[in-house]
Amino acid sequence: MSVSEEFIKSILELDERKALEIARRRLEAGEDPLKILGDLTIAADKIGEKYEKGEFFIADLVMAGEIMKGISELVRPKLKELGKVREVVGKLVIGTVQGDIHDIGKNIAVTMAEAAGFEVIDLGVDVPPEKFVEAIKQYNPNIVGMSCLITVGLESMKKTVDAIKEAGLRDRVKIIIGGGRVDEYAKEYAGADAWTNSAAEGVRIMLKWIREKAR
Amino acid sequence: MSREPVDELIERQRKEPEAVYKERAEIFEDAVNLKTPARTPVALFTCGHFFSKWFKPSVIYFDYGKIKDASLKLIESFPVDFSVMAPAAEGFIFSVAFADAPEIAPTIRFLTGPMHDIVKDKYTRWPGRELPEHLPFQFIGGEYVEPEEYRQLIEGPIDFVNSVVLPRACENLSKPGSALYVKSIARFAFEGSKFTSSLVDINAALAKNYGLPPFPATFAYAPLDFIGDFLRHPTGVMLDIRRHPDLVKQAAEALVEPIVKVGLALKPLGAKYAFIPLHLNEMLPPKLYNEFYWPALKEVILELYKSDIKSFVFFEGDHMPHVDTILELPKGWGIAYFERPKDFIKVYEKLRGHSCVMGGIPVSLLHSGTPKKIDEYVKKLLKATAPNEGLILAPGVAEITPETPDANLKALINAALKYIGENR
Repeated sequence: MSVSEEFIKSILELDERKALEIARRRLEAGEDPLKILGDLTIAADKIGEKYEKGEFFIADLVMAGEIMKGISELVRPKLKELGKVREVVGKLVIGTVQGDIHDIGKNIAVTMAEAAGFEVIDLGVDVPPEKFVEAIKQYNPNIVGMSCLITVGLESMKKTVDAIKEAGLRDRVKIIIGGGRVDEYAKEYAGADAWTNSAAEGVRIMLKWIREKAR
Repeated sequence: MSREPVDELIERQRKEPEAVYKERAEIFEDAVNLKTPARTPVALFTCGHFFSKWFKPSVIYFDYGKIKDASLKLIESFPVDFSVMAPAAEGFIFSVAFADAPEIAPTIRFLTGPMHDIVKDKYTRWPGRELPEHLPFQFIGGEYVEPEEYRQLIEGPIDFVNSVVLPRACENLSKPGSALYVKSIARFAFEGSKFTSSLVDINAALAKNYGLPPFPATFAYAPLDFIGDFLRHPTGVMLDIRRHPDLVKQAAEALVEPIVKVGLALKPLGAKYAFIPLHLNEMLPPKLYNEFYWPALKEVILELYKSDIKSFVFFEGDHMPHVDTILELPKGWGIAYFERPKDFIKVYEKLRGHSCVMGGIPVSLLHSGTPKKIDEYVKKLLKATAPNEGLILAPGVAEITPETPDANLKALINAALKYIGENR
């Protein structure tokens, strides 16, 4: 097994100590930090796959996110030192929709998406539709992610998609909704492109979109 | 439009509330006792957001009189068979703080708007206070305890809650022994008792005017959720399980006793069911659920069962991966209320003849579907679960939105009245 494979395996096994240890060793051995971060993209995709298969649960994602965050923090100074920048796989504007101030799910999504290589613009919680619209204009993202925990969000998500349509920006972005209460009905009602109950699955869907677009 | 069964029930519950009361009590008992009721009961829960159909959130959560008006309006328009309306936030930690005072513990189980004003807790945010006036209250919890403090919790959970957690989590309880602290605690208990009395009054009015039987509830909690919701935040406890597994296990175990104490406090007043809302359940993989979550919860359920209190457990999210563990409980242990298992019918089949199963109706379907869609959905569900023994239909406890069209909610009730026996 290559170091890279062993590294990814330790993340998937949620072995925090081992994953950080390998990252440290790789950096010390002078390996390109971009390669290490590239492995995180692969790991994030595999984590999504495991979630889809029912092998991973939210608690696993929280741990995986924590591990990947730790690795990114280790790598960042080295990256800076070498004057390198990680290639962004895509740009994501994300926020908890208007009326909802819960952020657990959204924060897991941010962590996972960043680890996967997305540039994430986090608009925070209780984000009104016009703020999503402004952010699309300003950052030109590939994807808009809307999160909600409580059912107030169902209406806000629809309003946000409507506002994006009215601004003539709907064709420019893919929209994914996520959270504990969303499902197919909610997706149809809001007019989004995809829904998920998990950040990992969400990241996997987003990576798929990016790959499709690249073709 | 022709007159539908739901319209008849709306009229009948007003004209002959006693007969409807008897009918509802019977179908509920039958369902809990795993029999096929004369028709499938429909239940509805609200934590108050639905009431903003009629009153502004900043009013409804702070005015018990308006809660009564709204509760009566709700049942008058939507004649469900079983309802718990508690426009208040999760406040079980206060019950645990008072676990040794059974006359107070159950009355402060829910945190109302005025109670929030009194202690200024950081767990919740309220309309017209920290939130805009039109929003429902929101529970956000928080991290108030460090992993190193688990040992102190294990040694004495009630003391720990009182001396460490609440002073950090509530602004007005930050200095135990101070004048502000004493005043706040006393007013808090008084307010809890006022709220409880108002609920008793509301239940009596619902029974008298619309034949709705009250639900004889007491309250308990899953120990690990207690840690996640009030002490360490859900993500905190999820990391603790991996980083400090033994401490988490011991802490959950230490919380069983005070939680059971709270659960038994209302028994002398006729409580029969302990409501236990779960939160972390769906987030844990089976291995962690079985090792850290379920053993302590099971102990709570069994302890209460020994004292003739059945449990009424709300399995939040998709509980399907853990559903087999329910079969470890004695047959007829209580009510299993599912929010959104991936396959409700499969879950029902698994538990048929063992547990009373409640749920099956997606909140999003009620919010965004049509009466026709809902009718078809319920018909299909009742057919697939025929003859519907031990079944109660309900949307998840996750709030029904005030935007839910009246016709959709009525379609749900109507379908349950329509599709019985051969009509299924």
